[in-house]
Amino acid sequence: MANNAQIPSKSSALIAMIADEDTVTGFLLAGVGNVDLRRKTNYLIVDSKTTVKAIEDAFKEFTTKEDIAIVLISQYVANMIRFLVDSYNKPVPAILEIPSKDHPYDPTHDSVLSRVKYLFSAESVASGRR
Amino acid sequence: MEEVEGNQRSEDGRKAEENILQFMDSMDSYLTLLDSMSSTLRQGWLELASARHSMGASRVNSALFDLKLHSAVTTLQVAEQDGESPLADPMVKQSHFTLCKWASPNGGKCCSEEIEDGDKLQKKSPQLRHRGLSQFSELQEKLVASSGAPLIVEDQVQKERSKSLSVFGTLVSPKLRGAQFSFETALVTLVEIANMRSLMLSAFAQVRQEMEGRKE
Repeated sequence: MANNAQIPSKSSALIAMIADEDTVTGFLLAGVGNVDLRRKTNYLIVDSKTTVKAIEDAFKEFTTKEDIAIVLISQYVANMIRFLVDSYNKPVPAILEIPSKDHPYDPTHDSVLSRVKYLFSAESVASGRR
Repeated sequence: MEEVEGNQRSEDGRKAEENILQFMDSMDSYLTLLDSMSSTLRQGWLELASARHSMGASRVNSALFDLKLHSAVTTLQVAEQDGESPLADPMVKQSHFTLCKWASPNGGKCCSEEIEDGDKLQKKSPQLRHRGLSQFSELQEKLVASSGAPLIVEDQVQKERSKSLSVFGTLVSPKLRGAQFSFETALVTLVEIANMRSLMLSAFAQVRQEMEGRKE
């Protein structure tokens, strides 16, 4: 790590959320809520009436904004836009899949773990031995 | 010449093994932290449900969220570590996230260490407020004796916490305060998860590069 230079840190960055009401409420109590001049929030509350398009738009918006460093997304919501989440490959903002009240965390669906399980697949082991 | 090549190969092999170990360790830590965070969130949801039960559903509701212009008081600082080469895979670069809890929007410093000390005091004190001298006050006085600065930070933190709770009314259930504390703890764990994720992806990218190098 001697060659790694530290780039000066950015100014304060936000945590965005795409989750159910209770999860968003809890994190807002912890002080992460932000409302900008255009009355846009850094969270989307997902309920039974929220469309997949709305979730996709929120995900695209949060992952392209420069002032957001982490996007928290309930795993059951991430499953609705799985293709979009799995095709995201930038280091920042970091996408963290979290459980919700009714849907416990399932490591088999986690996009980060899906990406790295390639190392443990039979194909990669076999190709390494050739 | 052969000796030099042999030394180079063993050095490369050692480095590859280190990267694999780093990847395995970071993945293990990632899963352990996720488990811990799930447990903390469950606690937070339970406390939120209890608060809703005691205060009424209309008082703990997303309709009460403040939609006026305001900045987040809990934010992040991101530091990116440069890779060995500017052309390196972006996933090899590591990002380090630092949580700044309850920093005042008026330009207060990121004070995570002082807040951690204050949080430890908060944990020892009971959740209900007590009039007069309490155990928490005695602990605060001891802290002032050692250094005056942490007390000012703690006051600012309490002020921001109360402001956050005041969205749900002036008098709130102790369970709502408990839920706030649980979600704060979950946030700390989430930032650790983000750092571990970054380390894991960086180690994975290096291992994959080595594997592809060997195939060629």
